[in-house]
Amino acid sequence: MNEIGIVFAAEFARKLRSRVYLVATLGGALMVAFLVEAPALFSHATLDSTSDIVLAGPPALRQRAAALMEAKADFRVVASLDRLPKPVTLAFLDAHQKAAAALELSDAHHKLHVDVYPRDLAAYDEIEFRVLIPLSIEVATGLPSAEVTPALKVERVIHPLDRKFVDAKSATFAHGVAFGLIFILYFSIIIASQSVMASVAEEKTSRIAELLVATISPVNLLTAKTLAAAALALLQIGVWVTTALVLLPRAAVSLAGSQSALGPDSGAQLLAFDPGELIAFAIFFLLGFFQYATIYAAAASLISRTEDLGSVATPVILPVVGAFFIAQFTLLQPNSPLAIAFSFVPFISPFVIFSRIAISLVPWWQIALAVAINLATVAVCFYLGGKIYRVGMLLYGNAPSLRQVWAALRA
Amino acid sequence: MLVVERVRRSFGAVEAVRDVSFTCAPGTVLGLLGPNGAGKTTTMRMILGIYPPDAGSIAWNGRTIDRELRRTFGYLPEERGLYAKMPVREQIEYFARLHGLDERAAQRRTAAWIERLGLGEYAKRTCSELSKGNQQKVQLACAVVHDPVLLILDEPFSGLDPLNAEIMVECLRALAEGGTTLLLSSHQMWQIENLCREFCIVAAGTVRLRGSLEELRHAFPTRSVKVAPDLPAIRAAFAACGAGEPLAEDGALTYVLPAETDFGALLRAAVAAGDVSDFERREPSLNEIYVHALGNQGAAS
Repeated sequence: MNEIGIVFAAEFARKLRSRVYLVATLGGALMVAFLVEAPALFSHATLDSTSDIVLAGPPALRQRAAALMEAKADFRVVASLDRLPKPVTLAFLDAHQKAAAALELSDAHHKLHVDVYPRDLAAYDEIEFRVLIPLSIEVATGLPSAEVTPALKVERVIHPLDRKFVDAKSATFAHGVAFGLIFILYFSIIIASQSVMASVAEEKTSRIAELLVATISPVNLLTAKTLAAAALALLQIGVWVTTALVLLPRAAVSLAGSQSALGPDSGAQLLAFDPGELIAFAIFFLLGFFQYATIYAAAASLISRTEDLGSVATPVILPVVGAFFIAQFTLLQPNSPLAIAFSFVPFISPFVIFSRIAISLVPWWQIALAVAINLATVAVCFYLGGKIYRVGMLLYGNAPSLRQVWAALRA
Repeated sequence: MLVVERVRRSFGAVEAVRDVSFTCAPGTVLGLLGPNGAGKTTTMRMILGIYPPDAGSIAWNGRTIDRELRRTFGYLPEERGLYAKMPVREQIEYFARLHGLDERAAQRRTAAWIERLGLGEYAKRTCSELSKGNQQKVQLACAVVHDPVLLILDEPFSGLDPLNAEIMVECLRALAEGGTTLLLSSHQMWQIENLCREFCIVAAGTVRLRGSLEELRHAFPTRSVKVAPDLPAIRAAFAACGAGEPLAEDGALTYVLPAETDFGALLRAAVAAGDVSDFERREPSLNEIYVHALGNQGAAS
């Protein structure tokens, strides 16, 4: 076994047995179980969206529908057209004050029919159809709705604009899953990177580094440590995802049942998310982790006492926290120009591009470009982080000045 | 043979090692002595490749020391370098593997050293559960488990009680008898004097003295003579030979005389002066040689 393998095996075994790792793994599994079981996270997260609506259809229907919808403060009809263009696109909605949806009304054999083109399936609010129920009654009976028992349903067909999801429920569910995965991504990167940081600090402060550096090159040492931490993190994530997969069918059935207005779909349908999502998760986890872990390791190598760990940890934690929040905003607007731009920004990209992949159809070239940029970033991080680590591991006393760090980078 | 030739190393404005040269023949135990900050640890780290020298060269058997060669060396640093939460057996095996042993050989040698150092009952415990003395034994096992050709020990007796220090001395002596070259630093003069055959005294980054104890003693400028009883006639006989004021203690007189003094003539003069019950010429101890070599700096440290 070469030296990287020896360090990897020892590091893996040592950390696997550590109490911190076991607690984090089991605690994480419990947290995942809680998130999966908390239906509010999935079912109520999107009910409060305000809708700007484009209405189309025969003038009489349109005017009546507009009156009904605008009577509710949640809706604003931003455009009223005879008919919608075919196909309806996001650009069309953008052109109409970034409307949340376009609705085309028609009277089909005395039944109100609504073709719905929502911007975001998950954010699309079913309550709109309850608003239109009086109109449906009037169309069906020719009588004012007040004189008829409101028992009829609005017949409607939803047309997903990005074709990622088949209906609002699966979109909502995917948002929940995406949120969970992004949280795991954030949590795992933080934990695994800090594990590398703590390990480096332990070896530095206990002077084990002197023994190691005499027998193994610093770059190989750093490589082995980060690989071991990545393997441990993937194992941990495996436990969490397995927990989620065991509990999700029940949660999905429960979710389907809770949204009775949508009809009798089974929970199994909701689980039909792309397994490629998990592959994307693994890829962007590793790319993100290696970027952060090398920076964390380099930072840890600069301290001489474990008490100083906090002072170097804070500046390097900020980017990952920032990336996590940007990913949350991306879930709301996955194809906004800012979200697309952040997909290619090192350190932030793994979170943002994964958020977009999870809830929308991202062009393949954007994914490929993001992977390429992240790979390049990992290479640069290993090169620069390795240089700082090599110098920092053997520096004792006061923390080196920025000038010394710069000199190490130029060496 | 280890050849260190005119090495120099600075850290920023601090010149830790200015000019250090020495050689160490195979199987030799060389004591590197000097006050704190003399450059001993930096010199050792340069030999181990932890720091490259700014100038000068270091070679083992004529070959520049690279990582492959360094794997055949052992190192026991001054500050203990052990994983606190790793069990003793696993820790020793890990360092054996890092020094190039395969898994089976690492397990075999680890078991042998655990037995030899009396660590059997602690083998499954983590290092944080051990006493300082036992941690030092584990550290030694980690340094020697791969049977190094050169073993470098920085203050190996630091913090050890007399019993554990003696065990350490015995182990090091056995390693030297087995052909391992030892380079060690220590402030425990009596232990280092018993253990080492060669010495190199450094101060302020330069070599002040080097050689075997016999060579160092031979070069020492004075000798002390203890004579008893304390009689005026004996004092007069010594004064006639040019001796200075003696130190009187417990009915005996101790004189410090130039090394080239004719001690035979002095003995005869003393016997002629009175009934001499004791006459002892003392060779300088390593501690005296060390203090003399360092002058004021040695006294300060």
